[in-house]
Amino acid sequence: MKNDLWVEKYRPTLIKDVIGNEEAKILFVEWLGNKRRTKKAVLLYGPPGVGKTTLVNAAANEYNFRIIEMNASDTRSEKAVTRIANPATSFTGLDKFSSEIKGNILFMDEIDGIAGNEDRGGVNAIIKIIENTRAPIIMAANDVEIEKLRPLKKVCTLIRFQPTRIPLIIMALKSICEQEHVKYEFVALEKIAVNSQGDVRSAINDLQGLSEEGKTLTEQDTLALSLRNKDVSMYDTLKEYFAVKNIADAANLLNYSTVEYDDLLMAIGDNMPKRYTDTVKLAEAYDFLSQADVFRGRIGIEHWHLLKYFYNNLAQAASVDPESYKPFEFISPPIRVITLFWTKSKRTLLTSICMKIGVQCHVSKYEAKMIFVPYLRLMLQQRKKANALAEWLKLTPEEVTFLTGLKMF
Amino acid sequence: MSVNEGALMWVEKYRPKTLKDVVNQHDIVESIKAFMRNPKTMPHLMFAGIPGTGKTTTALCIAHELFGMQNWRNFTLELNASDERGIDTVRERVKDFSRYSRGAFGDIPFALIILDECDQMTGPAQTALRRIMETSSRTSRFILICNQSSKIIEPIQSRCAIFRFSRLERNAMVEHLKDVAKKETVNISSEAVERIVDYAEGDLRHAINALQTAAAYKEDAVVDEKVVSQIIGEASPKQIQLMLNKAINGDFMEARRIMYDIIGTYGFTGAEIIRQMQKELFKISYILPEQKAEFSNILGEYDYRLTQGANSDLQLSALLAQFVKVGKALGESS
Amino acid sequence: MVLLNQKGFKLPRVEKEKFMLLLRLGLDYNSQQTLYSIKNYNSIHQLRDTLQDILKSEIAFTQTCTICNIDFGCSTCNYTKFCPTKDLPFTCVCNQCLRPKKNLQQQKLF
Repeated sequence: MKNDLWVEKYRPTLIKDVIGNEEAKILFVEWLGNKRRTKKAVLLYGPPGVGKTTLVNAAANEYNFRIIEMNASDTRSEKAVTRIANPATSFTGLDKFSSEIKGNILFMDEIDGIAGNEDRGGVNAIIKIIENTRAPIIMAANDVEIEKLRPLKKVCTLIRFQPTRIPLIIMALKSICEQEHVKYEFVALEKIAVNSQGDVRSAINDLQGLSEEGKTLTEQDTLALSLRNKDVSMYDTLKEYFAVKNIADAANLLNYSTVEYDDLLMAIGDNMPKRYTDTVKLAEAYDFLSQADVFRGRIGIEHWHLLKYFYNNLAQAASVDPESYKPFEFISPPIRVITLFWTKSKRTLLTSICMKIGVQCHVSKYEAKMIFVPYLRLMLQQRKKANALAEWLKLTPEEVTFLTGLKMF
Repeated sequence: MSVNEGALMWVEKYRPKTLKDVVNQHDIVESIKAFMRNPKTMPHLMFAGIPGTGKTTTALCIAHELFGMQNWRNFTLELNASDERGIDTVRERVKDFSRYSRGAFGDIPFALIILDECDQMTGPAQTALRRIMETSSRTSRFILICNQSSKIIEPIQSRCAIFRFSRLERNAMVEHLKDVAKKETVNISSEAVERIVDYAEGDLRHAINALQTAAAYKEDAVVDEKVVSQIIGEASPKQIQLMLNKAINGDFMEARRIMYDIIGTYGFTGAEIIRQMQKELFKISYILPEQKAEFSNILGEYDYRLTQGANSDLQLSALLAQFVKVGKALGESS
Repeated sequence: MVLLNQKGFKLPRVEKEKFMLLLRLGLDYNSQQTLYSIKNYNSIHQLRDTLQDILKSEIAFTQTCTICNIDFGCSTCNYTKFCPTKDLPFTCVCNQCLRPKKNLQQQKLF
């Protein structure tokens, strides 16, 4: 299947198959199996793409426990904390389990995200969770932020992940090539491995991006590899996004961009019709975007394990028809200003108005909005009768101002 | 006709209070009058038909006639299926109401529950509704109001006497408008009235609202066609139809621009826009019914995605893109 | 350059403070065999620096090949220029296992 991501297809499901960091694996398994562990939380830290999350999932698979995923930035809400304290009632289970589940483990990925804030509240909130929860807790972070996470040392075991060594990466790439029936020059694999800087995920993505069915992967092909810029801005991200040659490139880009998911999704949505002028391709791309958005909605603020599906769909939207790419000017954000106007407070206001109309005129909120509001806002602009009317409908002055001011664009 | 002086919206002020004043639904009114002669035998009722044809009015008139103008509110529960949060809230409110209204009025052994927009309810919700109807049938009678009776499940339909409200005749609408205008001392030209009725597409509420708005703008002068056009232009969500046409005919960017405009101006939610698109799709004459099915399916799919997804304008854009694609394919095959 | 095997190596006698430091940095000490081994790798860089200090020489650790299980040093590796964990005792693949001479695929291409 053209759209299979090799990173997903070949993701290890057994601990022994996770490449590299054997030492960390041993410590992790030790912690997992130790029922009388002194520290009920463990923090896996290290550069991206070395297998922290993969290891957690593989362990869950092998040891038969259920992972409850929690977004670290959700630590403040009381609901989240109490929900965790009752793990049995709040699981977001993964699919791979056999019927007998041994127990629940809490998993917080990328905790350096929240601990990076100015206030120490983030880290302290995590510590509070660790203290209040009965289930064991696994956390993951990049080593860049480890300084800010120092307070966690008291309550959790730290396990460091090193960048994966080049020979190990080469072996992994070899194995995938064999399974995908891709012929290769050894030098090409070397180049990919070296370029990845210890990041297995990106190495596999690069491999997929560079290899073509039926052709031999040569050293020449790898010259296209560019050193990953980890801090890509929105403009650059968009530019690269629309220009990707294949799905693996797209996946890689999305992985490394630090741009906010939601902003990116919106910007891509805005600009899609400029990328694809062909109606069928546009419809296809939008379908993927729509599905990405559905996953974004389902992720909400906690179900981050669905993020990969979000990215997958975004990546597929980008690679619907790489051939047709021609550089274009991006649409500027003002379109979004209009929809931003309808903030929650304004919507609440409108809903309240519709309810009041509904009560007096025996209509539903929907009918009030469709059949009454358009006229009402015009009627209320006529000062003479406006007051009596507003009073009859029991509208507040704020609501009246809002209604009369409705069409402003 | 009896006038509700206190009501300042003319739609309400001139809403018929008795069955005989209901506009242009003669046959239905006659049938209902027959029931009313022996209220104890009145079954559950279902009123079906396009918006603005008098369904709610008729239901309220029944309430007035059963319980009298002073007291009817005590024995009538008005509910709107799309406004309530779910079938459980409906059940709660019906339960509370049944308890409250026990001790029926005179020799009417039941209270009235008017449930509007039932066709917006899901299958399971309707099944639950049927049970509610059953458990409260000793103490209550339901009047279910909907646009499309085909969307109501069989078990409910079989428990109701179904009345189909037909589209109001043009003349009847014109006459009614002129009547209201006279009572409100509004000087309106015949052409203006015709224009309003054209625009209202059979929905008397639209027409009366337009009249009232135009009158407000032309206090002491004649309400002519010009001001009516202005009002309609300002008030009209004809935008939905325009957006739909643009999309089906291949202009994605324009369709999307209109969509943003609609959201910006009217604050419609994604779900509301889709609901209107369904309605407008139905009216389009240049597409055959079997071709409409494909569009309708797309609307259904995106209606669902809207409930799951995070960004309505993205979903709507994607929806428009699908319409453009299907529209183009249709254009090419014909 | 001193070569140390992470599974067991000897050190000259150190004072108590230094000893405690070594343990904190991840070493384990078997008093019967008077051998040190690495238990925890979190502070491996610091540990190496400390050991270099004690031994007054540059040190390199050997590592175990994940395929053939022999212990080998980084000197035989082609990628030391690019490796952030060079000379540190992390699992790896030795040269022979990485580029076996009898690899059919390779012979076809070169």
